[in-house]
Amino acid sequence: MTPGTQMNPLLQVDQLRTYFHTREGVVRAVNDVSFTLNSGERMAVVGESGSGKSAMAMSLLQLLSYPGSVESGRVLLEGRDLLGMKEEELNHVRGGEIGTVFQDPMTSLDPIMSIGDQLVSHMIRHLRLNPRQARERAAQLLTQVGIPDSEARLRSYPYELSGGMRQRVLIAMALSCKPKLILADEPTTALDVTIQAQIVELLKDISTETGMALLFITHDLGLVARFAQKVAVMYAGRIVEYGSVYDLFERPQHPYTQSLLRTIPSIKGPRPKRLMQIGGFPPDMRQPIEGCAFADRCLAAVPQCRLEAPELEVKHGRQQAACLVDGGIEAVIGQTMPLHREGAEPLPQDELRVETRPVLELQQLTRHFKTDASLFKREGRTVRAVDEIELSLDPGQTLGLVGESGCGKSTTARMLLRLDTPTAGEIVVEGVDIAKLKGEALKSFRRKVQMVFQDPYSSFNPKMKIRDIIMEPLQVMDIGTREDRELKVQDLIRTVGLDTVYLDRYPSQLSGGQRQRIGIARALALDPSIIIADEPTSALDVSVRAQVINLLADLRERLGISILFISHDLSIVRHISDKIAVMYLGKIVEYGSADAIFEDPKHPYTQALLYAAPVPDPVAEEKRTIRLIGGDLPSPSNPPPGCHFSTRCPMVTDRCKQDQPVLEQMADTRKVACFHAS
Amino acid sequence: MRHRFANLTLASVSYPLRMMPGLGWLRSLLGNRIGLIGLSILVPVLLLAVLVPVLPFADPFKTNVSVSLNSPSLEHPFGTDKLGRDVFSRTMTGLQTSLSVGFLVAGITLSFGLLFGTLSGFFGGKLDRLVMAGVDIFLSFPSLLLAIGLVAIFGAGFLPVVVAIAIADIPRAIRLQRSLVLGIKSRAFIDAARMVSATPGWLMARHLVPNTIAPMLVAASITAANAILTEASLSFLGLGITPPEPSLGNIIREGQMYLQEAWWISTLPGLVILLIAISLHLVSDGIREVLDPRARKS
Repeated sequence: MTPGTQMNPLLQVDQLRTYFHTREGVVRAVNDVSFTLNSGERMAVVGESGSGKSAMAMSLLQLLSYPGSVESGRVLLEGRDLLGMKEEELNHVRGGEIGTVFQDPMTSLDPIMSIGDQLVSHMIRHLRLNPRQARERAAQLLTQVGIPDSEARLRSYPYELSGGMRQRVLIAMALSCKPKLILADEPTTALDVTIQAQIVELLKDISTETGMALLFITHDLGLVARFAQKVAVMYAGRIVEYGSVYDLFERPQHPYTQSLLRTIPSIKGPRPKRLMQIGGFPPDMRQPIEGCAFADRCLAAVPQCRLEAPELEVKHGRQQAACLVDGGIEAVIGQTMPLHREGAEPLPQDELRVETRPVLELQQLTRHFKTDASLFKREGRTVRAVDEIELSLDPGQTLGLVGESGCGKSTTARMLLRLDTPTAGEIVVEGVDIAKLKGEALKSFRRKVQMVFQDPYSSFNPKMKIRDIIMEPLQVMDIGTREDRELKVQDLIRTVGLDTVYLDRYPSQLSGGQRQRIGIARALALDPSIIIADEPTSALDVSVRAQVINLLADLRERLGISILFISHDLSIVRHISDKIAVMYLGKIVEYGSADAIFEDPKHPYTQALLYAAPVPDPVAEEKRTIRLIGGDLPSPSNPPPGCHFSTRCPMVTDRCKQDQPVLEQMADTRKVACFHAS
Repeated sequence: MRHRFANLTLASVSYPLRMMPGLGWLRSLLGNRIGLIGLSILVPVLLLAVLVPVLPFADPFKTNVSVSLNSPSLEHPFGTDKLGRDVFSRTMTGLQTSLSVGFLVAGITLSFGLLFGTLSGFFGGKLDRLVMAGVDIFLSFPSLLLAIGLVAIFGAGFLPVVVAIAIADIPRAIRLQRSLVLGIKSRAFIDAARMVSATPGWLMARHLVPNTIAPMLVAASITAANAILTEASLSFLGLGITPPEPSLGNIIREGQMYLQEAWWISTLPGLVILLIAISLHLVSDGIREVLDPRARKS
């Protein structure tokens, strides 16, 4: 299993170097990357956005878009160099010998061609089958990738399929010409956790059955542990660590890998108060990098690191790592992590805050959307986006709201902010029902609840400076004089750990992590008592995620703010939440203390979510029995009768298909809506 | 009266530029090759038109039959017409009229487009349906025909021509602004502002218009080019600027009878129109490229 020792590797990449010649300068995206991949091997390339992993993958196939170009290196597929090939030969290799699966299945499929036609034309071109043979094979392939009723499905169009189904079709397409290698670039990133688990399992099975090699590009270390045999970790266009999955996870050698693995909260075991975080942000690839690119963020950096760029070398006879410091950060700090804290010390706990009245209570909160009645249908359909949910949030606590897309969690958030008006039910904030507030009363409520958005870029007006963005709530609410506001803004930006020089920049000049800090500063501008964080870390890089989570946790402690944390990332939810509510199709199916739910999930859907979440530990992944739930999320406009989860539940009985279970108290720490929970 | 308008139109174009946060993009327009070519034609032509009254040109109205239909020479760079008037100074005076029409129409169209498009897109509902119904009605007439009809009602002359062309162009501007507003309305920063009780006026002034003004300016520069062409067409048909007041259109019309013996009377002003139209289009391409990196090619 030692990499690079086999005689005839399937794919051998040598000193690959890819640059993008942009107007702003040369972006050195891939710098001297080398690795080998043998037949039947599953290799993962891990890295954050901008690490060059996708540019590297595109370089292999010569699919770089302008202004990218491969500067030097070799890419040998069974000894033939792909870089020197003519376009005609390359077209035979792409799709024929190397299949590809990309992130977004919707843009990879032709929207006006049926699935069958797309598969068939592909096979006629590459395998020279006649149309009938090709169609038969297409149906077989769909069955192989787990699409039921494949004959009928061949006539479907991409828009008729769910995201997971479309990704299966793409995999079928990649498989159709019996390639030797499949290149999958973030194939599950756009999918929900339960669907992601299905697709990963499918790719793994296919590679085992057919002996195909797999090159899997991802940012998710958990998926790597579940899936790969070999790993290359990329940072700033270089492979910084390269070896077998066991070596790499058990004894990571490069400080970047070591730090990354520690920033990810665990879904089992004790919860640390703070996550280990990597300071700073990834380097700007337009600037030439002196020495080691990670040196500025590295705990183990020595002066030599800034002068000399380390080469990959074998460490302790196991994996290769590019680091001058033997043992990486462990050499410096040992096994225990210092909890470095930013910002000021916590304020003394308010003695008076012993009141246990919740700051937020939802009672029978409901939001139905009616689709318009059309010419042919007299009555529109009702979508029960949020259906009679009840939750409460105590002062200074965090409530995690978990669920897949379409479960109603974002609609709930919009109602809490009164960006949307509930159909029925009450939203009680500090004892006042705000569901139907209007005018001045609504305005004064708005100071109490603020939100941190998922995508920190689209939540800022690109034409406004950071100063104006943070100041906007104060201006709109007409708070303070001009000088007061300026002081407040400076105070806020320091609170979130940024320097005041950023106030004069535009959002596009900031990195993702910095923008999310600004998003938090803006939410804090009105001194709210509740912050709603809607997937605040899902658009961020792994190394920056922990910074934002720690910041939120610190603010909760220092300012006594309560947080409603919406996410699909179970490990982060567990880390930050005191209580958790799991939502499925507009209903809460399990609700209780975070520890109890993660320790012993009662609802089959919660269990499925936990199984689906990969753990960044290959040994644990191997030992885990992974019981996946099949099928797709039903449409919220047409949910199954009885229990909404009955169509995917492994424990389903006849009763589940007729009656809907209600949320019932189980023990004193939680409520579950399932007939089988006991 | 013409001169006053020339100044007013310049002001109406530079106002939204000042409103825009940061003029960085204007600087990058100067660095953009296409935009720079366009500007380097447009700016001298504009200056020339504005400075006509103070420059030592021949009197555009003075007839002198002794030099009737003289071909281009140093004294008369564009030659003379049947009545012996200097075609160059008539063209320059006509240019002033044409550019005034172009920029005035663009300014009016931009203002109406911004106002109604923003209101319609932002509030939706009944107002939107009403505005859009009006837009659809106007758009179902060919714009030149609409302008001809309006001139027939109000009579020929400078103001009726401007109003007629603007009315034909406003619906398009409204529609563009409305679709831009609809796109931006759903962005998260609008929610973020609504979350702190921002009023509709605040949202429109601080968030919507600043984000739509740039593409609207691109459209306005094309509107200006088209308005100049439409004015020329109307004047050529005898429905626009009435002689002896020169406009590029009516100079061409007058010269049309003498194409055989004096080609310069129609051809040279025609080339000037071409030059302005091309430069305006280049400028708008330049603005678009600077604002939308996706439009850039190698």
